[in-house]
Amino acid sequence: MPAARRRWRIASWAPLIVLVLLCGIITLINPNFLTFGNLVRISQAAMIPLVLGMGATFIILMGSIDLSVEGGLTLSAVILSMLVINGANENAFGLFGVLIVLLVGAGVGFTNGVIHVRLKIPSFMVTLGMWFVGVGAANALLGGMAIRINDPMIRGLAIERFLGFPWGVWVALGCLLVALVIQNYTRLGRYIYALGGGEELAALSGIPVGRVRILAFTLAGVFYAVGGVLAAAQLGLGNAQIGTGRLFTTITAVVVGGTALSGGQGSVLQTLVGVLIVVVLANGMVLMGVPPSVQIGVQGLMIIAAVALSIDRKRMRIVK
Amino acid sequence: MNTMLDTLRSDGVRQWLPLVTLVILVILVGTFQPAFLDVNTLLQLASDTAVLFILATGVTFVIMLGGIDLSIQSMASLSSVVVALTLARYGYAAFVFAFGLGVLAGLLSGIAHVRLRIPSFIATLAMGGVLYSAALVTSRERSITLGESERAYLGWITGTLFGIPNVVIIALIVLAIAHVLQSRTPFGRYSAAIGAGEPAAYASGVKVDRQKIFAFVLSASCAALAGIVLVGRLASGSPTLASELLLPSIAAVVVGGTSITGGVGSIWRTLVGALIISVVRIGMTFLGVNIFAQNIVFGVVLVAAVAITIDRSKIPIVK
Repeated sequence: MPAARRRWRIASWAPLIVLVLLCGIITLINPNFLTFGNLVRISQAAMIPLVLGMGATFIILMGSIDLSVEGGLTLSAVILSMLVINGANENAFGLFGVLIVLLVGAGVGFTNGVIHVRLKIPSFMVTLGMWFVGVGAANALLGGMAIRINDPMIRGLAIERFLGFPWGVWVALGCLLVALVIQNYTRLGRYIYALGGGEELAALSGIPVGRVRILAFTLAGVFYAVGGVLAAAQLGLGNAQIGTGRLFTTITAVVVGGTALSGGQGSVLQTLVGVLIVVVLANGMVLMGVPPSVQIGVQGLMIIAAVALSIDRKRMRIVK
Repeated sequence: MNTMLDTLRSDGVRQWLPLVTLVILVILVGTFQPAFLDVNTLLQLASDTAVLFILATGVTFVIMLGGIDLSIQSMASLSSVVVALTLARYGYAAFVFAFGLGVLAGLLSGIAHVRLRIPSFIATLAMGGVLYSAALVTSRERSITLGESERAYLGWITGTLFGIPNVVIIALIVLAIAHVLQSRTPFGRYSAAIGAGEPAAYASGVKVDRQKIFAFVLSASCAALAGIVLVGRLASGSPTLASELLLPSIAAVVVGGTSITGGVGSIWRTLVGALIISVVRIGMTFLGVNIFAQNIVFGVVLVAAVAITIDRSKIPIVK
């Protein structure tokens, strides 16, 4: 076992090495990469994927998957845009509105978890359904419109700065801290690892497997709602396309960071590295003049490469 | 709740449930909207179902093996873009080229899944991204409308034969090929065997990997064909042309009674499923449900159908 564990430790450093190499190469090609302005740009691009990645990491650590990222985020962003000061109605709930949105996110995640656990449906199917239910509900609420957000506090998340970085970046770092605490210092965090490592064993050791799963999906839903708040702040609008492409970036970030899809191996810090790899690569491609539409394809290839490298084939006899 | 589910799952009921649902839905919509049962309306319904059915047919083979293909909508869109871009210069060869691209994409998905041992949902999610990106780049992120001269090549899609729209005939040909593949070839029997129990199939000497790759090729080439038919019907190609079709396609397969755990299912069930989805869509449009909000219904229907059809004894640990 020690040998295997040592190998895993080296493997978990690989993403960080990739990140450093990537930064080095891009700097050589375009020295503008290392300016403070570009650093802020990278942090702005990274804040939403980071928050979404925190939620998705816990799910993937259990060996499950959550495809409802865009559903939760879009619904949250649209509901937020209708609750704070906006161009469509007289509501002005402010922070209370944000709280409601977090509850909505929790509700979406909780529903995922309950259907998954109680009806014993594989998570990818439940969350595939929820993806479209969420986006569909957002569409139904909007009725084809987009709602402008005029709330100075929400807009401030993207515009106002503290120590040179937008408040949204600090919110994202706060989420990282919360996720780290949950992962390392709570029973839920340890149970999630136990489930991913071997569910039968976890159940036999008395871990309430079903409850842990439902809690993890609920937690993920809250993170997606925070992502929705940040996305609405960044765009200044609540519209139904606000989530497009975010599932892809999120899953890329988590698996590129080295969290294994088979569960049990990985961490939220690795997801931070994964997010930075994805964002830095995108930023570098922009600096080199590669059209943004190529990035989705590159991310797709990164998913395949990262999963192929990190999968523990000995543990998976049948791959479906 | 559970006893109700058990009743629904008992084999006799489960087998006929989709067909009964379809008949009830048709009667329901027909009562509220008598014009719906008109021959022309029904032919229109069949034409509207054709694309969905072709997409669902391909993915049925993958689901029968216990996998999933989340890249079909991107493949169909890419195929529409490729046809729209090359039709003027290469004529009918454009269709062959688009179809060939589908075969290639399916081959790559299948190899990534089987050789690299990546779970199919993630391999095809990633492949879908690559295909979507390719469609965006080649189309320069816009929709391409076909000119008058190019539309001349689309007669085999837009025309009618003895009063039956050609799209319906194309869909029927796909149905016939799929039926033969499923019930008259080794591939069909091996698929059923792999879906029913992969280790047993492997131990009996079935070349599991090759069958799986073939299923992904079928899925992606059906998607490419669906994209071609879409170009014919809309006279344009775009990188997002089919993006709303993933959910209804998978829902059609599952609603028809094919189980996502593999082994149980058939192309006829997918036909029934696709018709159910179409009738539900018409019913909702009739009731004035927003086209995007319809996804809420399809999402719920998908999960409900999975809950009824899934074979829980096959997955001791549900992840």
